[in-house]
Amino acid sequence: MTPETAVQTVANTLMLSAMYILVALGFALLMNILGILNFAHAAIYMMGGYICFELITLAGVNHWAALLIAAVSVGLLGFFIERFFFRPFLKNMNNIVIITLALIVILEATVNVTVGSFIRRIPSFVPGAFRFGNVSLSGDRIAAFVIGSLLLLAAFLFIRKTRTGMQMLAIAQDPEAAELQGIHTRRIFALTTAIGCALAGVSGSLMGAVLSLSPFMGDYMLVKAIEIVILAGIGSIGGVLIGGLILGALDASLPLFIGGSATDLIGLCIVIVLLLFRPQGLFGHEA
Amino acid sequence: MTARRSPNSKRKEAKKLLAALAVVVLLCLLPFSTTSPYYLHTFIITFIYVISAASLRTILLSGQISIAHGAFMGVGAYASAILAKELDWSPWLTMPIGGILAMAFGATTGYPLTRVRAIYFSMVSLFLGLAIVALMGVLQGITGGDIGMIDIPPLSTIAIRGLPAVDFGASKVPSYYFFLILTFVVLLILYRIEHSHVGMSWKAIAQSYMVASSVGVNESGQRLLAFAVGCFFAGIAGAGYAHYNMVLTRSSFGFLPSINLLIYVLVGGAGSFIGPVVGTAVLVIVPEVFRSLKAFVPFVFGGIMLFVVFFMRQGIAGLFKQLSVKLSGTGEKEMPSRAA
Repeated sequence: MTPETAVQTVANTLMLSAMYILVALGFALLMNILGILNFAHAAIYMMGGYICFELITLAGVNHWAALLIAAVSVGLLGFFIERFFFRPFLKNMNNIVIITLALIVILEATVNVTVGSFIRRIPSFVPGAFRFGNVSLSGDRIAAFVIGSLLLLAAFLFIRKTRTGMQMLAIAQDPEAAELQGIHTRRIFALTTAIGCALAGVSGSLMGAVLSLSPFMGDYMLVKAIEIVILAGIGSIGGVLIGGLILGALDASLPLFIGGSATDLIGLCIVIVLLLFRPQGLFGHEA
Repeated sequence: MTARRSPNSKRKEAKKLLAALAVVVLLCLLPFSTTSPYYLHTFIITFIYVISAASLRTILLSGQISIAHGAFMGVGAYASAILAKELDWSPWLTMPIGGILAMAFGATTGYPLTRVRAIYFSMVSLFLGLAIVALMGVLQGITGGDIGMIDIPPLSTIAIRGLPAVDFGASKVPSYYFFLILTFVVLLILYRIEHSHVGMSWKAIAQSYMVASSVGVNESGQRLLAFAVGCFFAGIAGAGYAHYNMVLTRSSFGFLPSINLLIYVLVGGAGSFIGPVVGTAVLVIVPEVFRSLKAFVPFVFGGIMLFVVFFMRQGIAGLFKQLSVKLSGTGEKEMPSRAA
């Protein structure tokens, strides 16, 4: 491996990890706070990408404004989904599974019918490439990494330092005790879903510019998000960072040596082995 | 319900068997009203998925929500297809072998899975399923990878002297009857298992594994048994699919097919035996009706799912139960579904 490839791989790792973590963080928040496995999270990631794409190409909105509008509208979508689809069924896992899967099917079909299943690409946020010595990195990759890291930093500060964020952590630890302390759990649930979905929407938009958009791009990301949450452990939000970095590094470096399916296989085997010997994940507490 | 049965429950069972036989007779008559390959094909596919979904419910009985079931169908399918194609064995022999291999694979991979419960089990099984499909991609040499595997021999002709030969390649009617009979037999076996001592232990584990093991149920052993039995029938269904379809691609056994099987069971109603049968029938056949509007089929599929969640908490089969309670006033009392 030449030094250039090595630097490229590290850069790809960071970019990919930031995107994975943005999606996985929302997934982890929903799992820890609402106690549901939101399979539809990746479909929302995909919706974010398509909303951004339509705003830029059809409405001619400024790129960065489109990114913001996409994030906000996907957040509102999450708010709506929480209110009408999750809230009535929070106690019943079977029903939540059916609902979130139905949402995937419906959201993917909506995009398929309205936009079409052709693979599309969001026009570059930062056109051109930057050269550092022998290494060249596309502007979009750098933008994705910078925006992703800043958002993650903001999200973590929000969760650790603000009153609302600490209320979220309290609910994640023990919902009933939190409610007894006077925390308005329903409001926090709605807020959590909205934030999680907005983060996924940003990730979808950026990935749409770095790679491409397809109605089914979420399926792959869903698997990655679940893998990261498992690596991190249920109940751990900080662990999502480490989990995302591990998976990002695997996915950015292994394809250099072995094929794509073999990379998937190795990632999956690591997760399976980890789950068997440490079901609570790397950083989780005992369930 | 195992040792001593009240006359009432015996009568009820007889009624159920009668109803099932009536449905089978009706289905037997179908090829006389239409020989359109398209209708027969839809029904054959439904039968195959009924076998799979019903065997998935067997695993669910023991409180394990497996998201790897589609992949185990794939194990049976590829095992049987490879044996029949490369070694030239008769599909009649390779199909049960496919089932046994799927069971063996399920038992070996399921053994470590007994360490984890509930939501952790579901996740490991999800990754297990994905890993199996990734493995099919790695073993490109024998599975054909993403291009797929073609020229799988169909079920070979049965020629008994004195009777007309049954050729599975010429028309879909013999395949239709074969899969109808297979489905009926498999359902009968699964029903007997569920109402046996073993089935009772599984249900006990699902309700509370601590109580179950405290009264002498070998929890991990029984869970493994449930998993292996489920995988066996999934393998059979997959092998049947391989020789019926004659083409295999690994995407038929990936994440979404596994999830679909789970949806069939949950939408039909995991709480009752006919749940997966009804769920599969509704979710495979109803979208086919809207086939001309192909892009809109997912809306029908998703719409049915949402409708069931919002208006039929016990699944579609739960509706039948409620109806029978209302009509006779004596139906069995609803058990809260404990599949989770």
